[in-house]
Amino acid sequence: MTVHFDIAVIGAGVVGSAIARDLSRYDLKVVLLEANTDLGDESSKGNSALMTEGHDTPAGTLERDLVVRGYQRYMTEAPELGLPMRKTGAVMLAWTEEQRATVEKHVEQAHAEGFHNVHLLKGEEVAKRWPQFRPGVLCAQWMPDEVIADPFSTPYAYVLDAVTNGVAFLRPWRVSRAERNAKGWRLSSDSGEVLDASLVINAGGIRADIVEGLANYRDFTMRPRRGQYILLDKPARAIHDVIAYPTPTPTSRGILISPTIFGNVLVGPTAEEVEDRDDRGVTEEGLAALRKAIEDMVPTLRDMPVNTIYAGMRPATNHSEYQIIPRFDEHWLTVAGIRSTGFSGALGIAEYVVSLVFPKVFDLKPAKEVRGVRVPDLSETSVRPWADPDKIAADPAYSEMLCHCERITVGEVRDALNSPIPPGSIKALKRRTRAMFGRCQGFYCGARVQAMFDAAKVKRHA
Amino acid sequence: MHDPAVLIVGAGPAGLAAAAELARRGINDILVIDRDDAAGGLPRFCAHPGFGIGYAPVPQKGPDFAARLVRAAEKKRIRILCSTTMTALEAGPTVTITGPETGYRTLRPRAVILATGVREANRGNRLVPGDRPEAGIMTTGLLQQMVARKVPFPAAIKSIVVVGTEHVSFSAIWTARHAGLNVRTMIDEKPRVGSFRAAGWLARAMGVDIRLRTRIAAIKAQDNRVSAVVIDGRRGTETIPCDGVVFTANWIPETAALTASPVEIDSETRGIAVGNAGRTNLAGVFAAGNVLHPIKASGSCAIQGRRVGAAVAVHFELNATA
Repeated sequence: MTVHFDIAVIGAGVVGSAIARDLSRYDLKVVLLEANTDLGDESSKGNSALMTEGHDTPAGTLERDLVVRGYQRYMTEAPELGLPMRKTGAVMLAWTEEQRATVEKHVEQAHAEGFHNVHLLKGEEVAKRWPQFRPGVLCAQWMPDEVIADPFSTPYAYVLDAVTNGVAFLRPWRVSRAERNAKGWRLSSDSGEVLDASLVINAGGIRADIVEGLANYRDFTMRPRRGQYILLDKPARAIHDVIAYPTPTPTSRGILISPTIFGNVLVGPTAEEVEDRDDRGVTEEGLAALRKAIEDMVPTLRDMPVNTIYAGMRPATNHSEYQIIPRFDEHWLTVAGIRSTGFSGALGIAEYVVSLVFPKVFDLKPAKEVRGVRVPDLSETSVRPWADPDKIAADPAYSEMLCHCERITVGEVRDALNSPIPPGSIKALKRRTRAMFGRCQGFYCGARVQAMFDAAKVKRHA
Repeated sequence: MHDPAVLIVGAGPAGLAAAAELARRGINDILVIDRDDAAGGLPRFCAHPGFGIGYAPVPQKGPDFAARLVRAAEKKRIRILCSTTMTALEAGPTVTITGPETGYRTLRPRAVILATGVREANRGNRLVPGDRPEAGIMTTGLLQQMVARKVPFPAAIKSIVVVGTEHVSFSAIWTARHAGLNVRTMIDEKPRVGSFRAAGWLARAMGVDIRLRTRIAAIKAQDNRVSAVVIDGRRGTETIPCDGVVFTANWIPETAALTASPVEIDSETRGIAVGNAGRTNLAGVFAAGNVLHPIKASGSCAIQGRRVGAAVAVHFELNATA
C-alpha cells in the first residue's frame, strides 16, 4: 500500500525547509523530499549569507513583503534555534558624482518606504569610520540593521525542527514522476519509491521548472544566474568588518565585500547567466572581476591569502517577481523563482504559504505542542567549544582539535555525525561543522575527517 | 599541571631534535605538544627513503626517521602530549593550550620553541579556476595521510595529475603508486624540474609525462568527481582526462596560531622572523624548522632544532648566572 501524506514539500533548500517547519505545527502528515543526499545542497549553499531587512528589493512586490517579514521572523526565531547573527550593518558606497546621486535617491526612497534606520553618511564620516575603503568616497548609505548569519546551519535548523515535530524527511528522493489521482498526486522517485500526497508544494529551487514540467505546468522558465566568490583568510576581518557594496547600476547590484559569521571575509558574487544550471565552475574572468572589486573597494585586502573559491547558483526565472502560484483545485502549490533573496525571505515565504493553505485547503489551527530544537553555534565570535572549560570538563572530546585552521574539535564532528539528520556527504559535514573550511582545506585534517565520516556511515548501516 | 621550563610546540623533526638537545644538556623539564594524534611530524606519512640526511647516521624512510626522533625523546623521558594545540602566544611567554589531557589552560614556561612546520598551498590558495567536485582534489599532505591512515579514497580514483616537480612532488608520486594510482602527468610552470634531475629521469622512465613551462588552467568535474585538468603550456591548451589532481609544494609556514600574537612574521618568507639562534622578537620565544623558511629537508630541520635547543640551554645558563 502506498504511503499517503497530507502535504509533500519538494526541495529541502532554505525555502522548502522553512515551509516544512511551519507546517509541522499542524496536525498533518507532512513529508519533505530532497533530491540530493543532503539538505541545502543547491542554491542555499552558495549565497552571500546576508539577512537583509528588505529595502533593496523592489517596492510593491510580494518579494519585498516576504523579505521584510522573513527578516523580522529571523530576528526572533533564529536565537531560539541557536542560530548566530551579527548586526555588522551595511554600507553602499559612492565614489563618483553619478553614484552620489543614486545613493541620495536610495536613502530618500528607503525613508519614504518606511525604513527609518537607513542613513546618508558624508564621505569624511565614511573615511573616519572605515579607513579601509579606497580613498575618495563621496558619500554612503549606511544600513546599521543589516545582519550576517549562518547560511548552512539555517536550513539545517529548519529541517531538524520540522523532523523533531513530526515531518518525514526523505533523501535522496528525486521526484521523477507526478500523476494525478483521486486524492491528489502520486509522486515517484527515480529509484522507484512511490508516495501519495493531497497537496504538493513545489519548492524545487533551481530545478523547480523540472518538477513543474512533471505536472505539466509551464508558467516560467529558469534563468540560472551564477555567482562566484572568493573567501579570504581570517586576518582579513581585522581590516574589514562591515558589509560593503558599490552603488548599484541599473544592470548590476555589484560585488560585495562582507565579513562572514565564521570570521572570514567574502568577496562576491559575480552575476552571470549560464546555460547549465549545474555549472558552478569558477572562471578566470570571474576571479578577475572579484579581484578588481577588492582593488576598487578595499585595496588593502589585495594580498590577503585566499582560502577558497567557489560559485553559487541563483534560482532566477524569466520573471523578476517570486513565482508563488496556488492551484489548490489541482492540489498543487508552486513556490519558485526566489532568485537571490531565499535566505532572507524563507520565513516570510513559509508564513505566506501557511496563510494560503490554512484554512482554504486544510481547515486547521496550529494545534501541536512544539518541541524546540537548538543547533550548535558555529560563529567565530561565540565561545568556541575548545575554549569552553565547562564543556571540556564534561567531555574532553571538545578539547581535541581535529580541524586546526577553523579549530573544530573531534567532539563537534562526532556530534554532527550523530545528529538525527546526519550529513549526507563530506561537504555536508563541512557545512555542519566548519571542519576543513579553513586555509588548508583539509591538508592537515582531511584524512581524519574522512575516516570519522566513513566510520559513522558504517555504524549507521550496521 | 606545572609550567614546564621549556614548551616545544610541534613534535616533528625540529621540535623533537630541540627537545633531545635540551635534555642532553641537562634541561629535563620539557613539555612537547603536538596537535596531531601522534608525534613525528610530516615525515611519518612519507613512506619512502631520504629522511634525516645529516642528522641520522644513515638516511631513513620517513616513518622510521620520525620513530627514531620519538624514541630518542622518550629515552630521555621527555613528555610529549599529542592532540594538544597551542591557541595563543603572548609576551611572557604566556601560552594558551587546549587538549584532552590538559583542558583549556594557560602555561608560563621560561622558554618556548615554535616548531610548527609547513603546509602546501591548495587549489583555493592558488586560485585555480574550474569545478569543485566532492572528491579528487588534494595536496600531497592529504594524499599521504589518506594512504598512511588507510582511509579509502571517496571515489574510484585511478589516475592523477601532479602539479609541481619539487622533491615532495616525487614523494607524492611514490605514495600514489603504492596506493595503486596511476600518475599520468606532472606539470610545472618552471622551465626545469625542481627536484634532482635524476628524479625526473626516473619518473619519465616510469611513464610519467613531465610538462614544464605549463600551468594548470582549470579543473573539470563530472558527477561530483574530477574528470580532467586543463593545462596551458608550450603545446597550447590541452585537456588531460584524470580522476584526481594533487597540488604539491608551494609551501606555506604554519603560523595560524600566531595571527593574533605579537610574534613577528617575515613578510618575505611568510614564516616566523628570527634573529640569532632562532630568537624571535618576543623574549624567551624561539623558532626552528620549516616554520621559518619553506622548505628544508627533515635532516636540516632536525639539525636546526638541535642548534636552537642548544641556544635555549645557553639562554638558561646565562639567566642562571645573571
